[in-house]
Amino acid sequence: MPLDTLPDVTDEALLILYANGDRAAARALTLRLTPRVLGFAARMLSDRAEAEDVTQEAMLRLWRIAAEWRQGEAKVTTWLYRVTSNLCTDRLRRRRGIALDDAPDVADAAPGVEASLIEGQRMRALDDALALLPERQRQAVVLRHIEGLPNPEIARIMEIGVEAVESLTARGKRALAALLAGQRDVLSYEDG
Amino acid sequence: MQDDLDDLFATARQRPPEPSAGLLARVLHDAEGVQDAQARPLRSPYRRRHRLLALVLGSAGAAAGMATAAVAGVWIGFAQPEAVSSVTAAWLADERVDLIPNYDYLTE
Repeated sequence: MPLDTLPDVTDEALLILYANGDRAAARALTLRLTPRVLGFAARMLSDRAEAEDVTQEAMLRLWRIAAEWRQGEAKVTTWLYRVTSNLCTDRLRRRRGIALDDAPDVADAAPGVEASLIEGQRMRALDDALALLPERQRQAVVLRHIEGLPNPEIARIMEIGVEAVESLTARGKRALAALLAGQRDVLSYEDG
Repeated sequence: MQDDLDDLFATARQRPPEPSAGLLARVLHDAEGVQDAQARPLRSPYRRRHRLLALVLGSAGAAAGMATAAVAGVWIGFAQPEAVSSVTAAWLADERVDLIPNYDYLTE
């Protein structure tokens, strides 16, 4: 599939063009937003197939809301991350069968976090450790440190205050460091 | 350890999961399907007739204005002549103006 052919057009302008039936806008939004949604969903769910399903569903909701999109109210990506987040939460709840609020603050260390010298395995170690974080901490850490969003935007996505985001991010990072503490050979570039 | 973690995050940012061609095709198929579904009602015979009528009459507001004007015209036509004729009759029959009152004795 070709690259985004409308790189200078904002997401919101593309969405309005899309709602007016513009096929090029549909293609540009698909190419621009699908990777971001998939990246977030994959790190939230640690399951590629489920992440793809969630991505398709989140994008479908975007297509359906396009005609009623109210300009200037929210960023398209903020809305999309929030929808993706809710879809992931639903799947995690179904998977675990327990309320996430009852989950322990930091789960037990993963026996499956394997040491490795190559980058793909380093990423797997990160994903394995992320999967052990409580869902809200994982969400905040992924949005802040991997998706690179600012705290106020994360607050809007998670529908909490900025201070709560900072707290979740800090706790999540500490928990990750603890989970990966025995894996320095996996984490260090010098060793890798 | 925090530095190692930051390096790991940086690597993760540089290596986002790539969507497969199949996923992109499914998402685009959905996008075009929603566009088609939302455009289709405009082409239905009912919508076509409705749009033609709107073109002829202008709009619902204009049509309502025309209907009100028509009803008002009929009402004025039937209801007002009596009142108008009675005013005219009263004016013509009873209102006389004495233009030279001081010379009445000459005619007596």
